[in-house]
Amino acid sequence: MSIRVMVVDDHPMWRDAVERDLADAGLDVVGVAADGRQALARFAAVRPEVVLLDLQIPEPDGVAVTAAMVEQDPEVRVLILSASGEQADVLAAVKAGATGYLVKSASREELLAAVRRVADGDPVFTPGLAGLVLGEFQRISEAPEPDPLEPRLTDRETEVLKLVAKGMSYRQIAERLVLSHRTVQNHVQNILGKLQMHNRVELTRYAIERGLDEE
Amino acid sequence: MSSWTSAASIAIKDRMFRALAVLRAIVLVNAVVLNIVRADEFTRPAAGAACVGVMVGWSAIATWAYGDRSRRGLPLLVADLAVAVGLLAVTPLVKGADDSSSVPGFWVMGALFAWAIQYRLLGGLVAGVLLAGADLQRQSIDASDYGNAFLLVIGGPVLGYLCDSLQQMATERDVAEREAAMAAERARLARVVHDGVLQVLALVQRRGKELGGEAAELGRLAGEQERELRTLIRAQDALTAPGGGTMDLGAELARLEHGRNVTVSGPADPVDLPAATVRELVAATGACLDNVREHVGADAPAWVLLQAFPDRVEVAVRDDGPGIPDGRLAEAAAEGRLGVTEAIRGRVADLGGTAELTSGSFGTEWELVVPRGGTQA
Repeated sequence: MSIRVMVVDDHPMWRDAVERDLADAGLDVVGVAADGRQALARFAAVRPEVVLLDLQIPEPDGVAVTAAMVEQDPEVRVLILSASGEQADVLAAVKAGATGYLVKSASREELLAAVRRVADGDPVFTPGLAGLVLGEFQRISEAPEPDPLEPRLTDRETEVLKLVAKGMSYRQIAERLVLSHRTVQNHVQNILGKLQMHNRVELTRYAIERGLDEE
Repeated sequence: MSSWTSAASIAIKDRMFRALAVLRAIVLVNAVVLNIVRADEFTRPAAGAACVGVMVGWSAIATWAYGDRSRRGLPLLVADLAVAVGLLAVTPLVKGADDSSSVPGFWVMGALFAWAIQYRLLGGLVAGVLLAGADLQRQSIDASDYGNAFLLVIGGPVLGYLCDSLQQMATERDVAEREAAMAAERARLARVVHDGVLQVLALVQRRGKELGGEAAELGRLAGEQERELRTLIRAQDALTAPGGGTMDLGAELARLEHGRNVTVSGPADPVDLPAATVRELVAATGACLDNVREHVGADAPAWVLLQAFPDRVEVAVRDDGPGIPDGRLAEAAAEGRLGVTEAIRGRVADLGGTAELTSGSFGTEWELVVPRGGTQA
């Protein structure tokens, strides 16, 4: 069965191009949307497996849409497509549950490969995203009062992430670290999982602090 | 914008007059109690009681009248000051000429403060001089009378000056806040425009590549512009970061993406380092990338990774080339051709750091490590 994809982008030209590429490759485009509200309304109706999401869309923005979709359906894979690569937004979307990130200038082949990979639950990391995530875990580890619940990267995971950030493919990483391709994939998946867990811990702590303050 | 008419200065005045209303109540209670305690000083008790009545009545009227900014005009202020001066002037008539305590006492503060708030330095001076004059002419002057008068004359303008400064500062702050809000809005609009342009450039690049031929060349150009614009946006975002001789190493390294097939990654937060350190590190990184261009190919991809730790920064530069064959470096050294490598090592060593070169099937990688806390300012 072909992968059910939804495309969310406020630029019709771009949306049509992506939709055509996906359809030509035999994927099933089950819905399109031009803004956050439409995206969430149609998402509930069409239940796609993969959402191709532009970050800069009219309210609610890509980060909020990602969070809402993942909350509704934890199995959904959100692949962020961003033209401007606003770093903070990309990181926020991935923390909110996105499975991957691709710049819009990526070729059709790269896009299709990325959609197929996220559909398999395999995170798509660009070197840029890996750099951001490395920075984020570094920031977490520098916190003045480390939380024992806080997920941390193992040395091996940090090593893998560094190599991704230096532009190496999983195959190259597997070769360099003498690991199987699958093991490298698992490491990257765990890294993403930990980042999203950290986000939930942070949100919960924030909610508790706010709750206590209000009492 | 004038600090006499700005919204911020009017808001300050509103607040000060509200505070003055409280002060008026306090000095009124004080004056009434003192006059009751000293009731036997009055030579004409009925007139004295009338004076106290006037104070109570005027305090109520003034509190109401100053409560609305439209009533706060010259007539009200003149009336306010006239009541205070009048009560000082009639004191000898109700208390006898040789009595040293005036009927209103500290109650005259209300009028003095009102003038200082409304007309600032000059207002405080006028009210101070008139009140002091009225106080002095009613009696033979001794040292403490002179002290009181001096305080009125000096206190009025000082208070007026403070009100002036406060209102000017509030006005300036208002202007600054408005400018900041405008700048933020401009940045937001620019982001929308940039995003639209980037979308189109990305699409042209993608379609061009697929169509091939001349379209591919167009696509390549669009790709170059896209990269350049993205770098520009990042540099612009970094402009808002605090200055003070530091620069964001991340934003500066990102500029290296310009015109080459280079991907720069790093943390989301700015990595602020002394400007000189940043310049040297960017130059060293640029030299590494030049090396890639020379040895692997003009359009060979390369990756730059910046990592920031509390005690150091690490910049890695990697290419996907064939690596350096064994013995190649030794050979080059023997021929005295290690110029570039040594230059990179030298730059980084000057910053108190190290530069390591590794090579293998994964390509060639430079690892530049520089301590933070600045060996060079």
